[in-house]
Amino acid sequence: MTTIIRSAPSRARPSSTPVARTILWIRKRWKLEWILAAVSLSSLALLWEFAAPLGIPGVENLPPPSAVIRESAKLLHSELYWTAWGLSLRRIAYGFLAAQLVGVPLGLGLAMNRVALDTIFPVVEILRPIPPVAWIPVAIIFWPTRELSVVFIVFLGAFWIVLINTIGGAATIDPNYRRAAESLGSNRRDLFWRIILPATIPSIVIGMAVGMGLAWEMLVAAEMVAGNTGLGYLLWQGFEVNAISQCIVCMMSIGIAGLLSSQLVRLLGRFAAPWQRP
Amino acid sequence: MTAVSASPKGGALSIRNVAKIYDPDGAGVVALDDISFDVGAGEFCVIVGPSGCGKTTLLNAVAGFDTVTSGEILLDGALLSSPARRPAPGADRIVVFQNGSLFPWKTVLWNVICGPVQQGRMTRANAIRHARDLLGRVGLAGIEDQYPGELSGGMKRRVEIVRALINEPRILLLDEPFRALDALTKSVVQEYLLELYDLVPKTVFFITHDVEEAVFLADKVIVMTTRPGRVLKIIDVDIARPRSVHVLTSDRFLQIENDVRTAIHGEAQKAFEAGEREFA
Repeated sequence: MTTIIRSAPSRARPSSTPVARTILWIRKRWKLEWILAAVSLSSLALLWEFAAPLGIPGVENLPPPSAVIRESAKLLHSELYWTAWGLSLRRIAYGFLAAQLVGVPLGLGLAMNRVALDTIFPVVEILRPIPPVAWIPVAIIFWPTRELSVVFIVFLGAFWIVLINTIGGAATIDPNYRRAAESLGSNRRDLFWRIILPATIPSIVIGMAVGMGLAWEMLVAAEMVAGNTGLGYLLWQGFEVNAISQCIVCMMSIGIAGLLSSQLVRLLGRFAAPWQRP
Repeated sequence: MTAVSASPKGGALSIRNVAKIYDPDGAGVVALDDISFDVGAGEFCVIVGPSGCGKTTLLNAVAGFDTVTSGEILLDGALLSSPARRPAPGADRIVVFQNGSLFPWKTVLWNVICGPVQQGRMTRANAIRHARDLLGRVGLAGIEDQYPGELSGGMKRRVEIVRALINEPRILLLDEPFRALDALTKSVVQEYLLELYDLVPKTVFFITHDVEEAVFLADKVIVMTTRPGRVLKIIDVDIARPRSVHVLTSDRFLQIENDVRTAIHGEAQKAFEAGEREFA
């Protein structure tokens, strides 16, 4: 007896028409998480837009996004706004960089020298709990310019966490790495550059990532109090002249700037520690 | 020949009345008590004993990571370690650690060549040639540019043994190197180790808990007592090399394995009871 097996028309065969190929291309690249992110963000925008007209209490004075965009067009085209971006970024760059330049070598040095650690660490423990914002008055008096005092506050924001992470990372290296390196003929210099420093890099990168977030917090606070330029200052000025749209634009700008800086640190981390899986 | 040269560089180890007491002025835990034995040049010596019997303490003393409280250790007739003299760790006595110590931030190739290059014993190009040759012999050709984190446990152990052997140590010290491996991987790596050993007979000082592993690898099994660590019994393994997994079922193998197991069982029992008392 023979059975005829009829081949079913294949459903999944990719069509070769341009339209079908485009749909396939979109399907491949459009991941569910992107769609969900788009849905959640646009819902938030819609909710914000219609919160006041719908009579949701507490947001009567909050301008809807459409108004913010309309009212801030002038601000977004002004030199003042973009100068503020530039100045804030520069302060972050200087303060953050200084925190790395001081914090990383100091942390490594303290981790490798017991006596130095026991001498310096009490000072660190006394100063570290003081919120960097509390330093603002002293900083203004101490540093010759406002600019330097703001950079100093940014520096403090990133410094402690970088220092603590570097010490912690360098002090907890598996002693067998050191032993293996010594057996393989490493001298003191090899030991530092080829074992201690690379073994500490992942901790340093974590310190940098957290430090970057804290640096932006301190920047905004310092610019509000001590600055006369910058995104934080512009935000506060918006409040003082009752320009809520300006406040909202500045808040969002700071958020975007913080996000970009964190991405930069992450990128740097992947470059500096390529053996670590993302 | 591009392999590590097989020229005998000695490696005869002599342990004479070695004792190690931790905290001599306090409670005084005796880790090693009057240990004496010899390991001939090129001999594969395996130490077995219950946990806490001082196996690693002894290995650390040979490696130069720790001192002895009394007695002396000689390498090729010259004093290596005594209470007055702790040797510096060196490339003539390389250790392969239980948890592995490949540098995760360096590629496999760099890990392997760093010893001879740092010591200035080989040019970089020469070391790379040796490294590729040795890695190929243990079935790891083509992984030179990977990071250790990308390798399996068995591969890492092989790389680490290669990293040790490329230095042409007088004695290779292995501290339970295969403990974390599953049984199948373990037997594969053991065979590779034996292959390398047959190729370049080195003095090997190998620590393990695993009786089957001990007898499979060793020329001589040294059974240690539970704390304080003493030499309980020295059992010669007169099974011809090269050995493959087939010897595991031979009568001679089973007989020797049984001897070792019998010797160690009493000690394991004591160690267990001591542990029970400690917790009671």
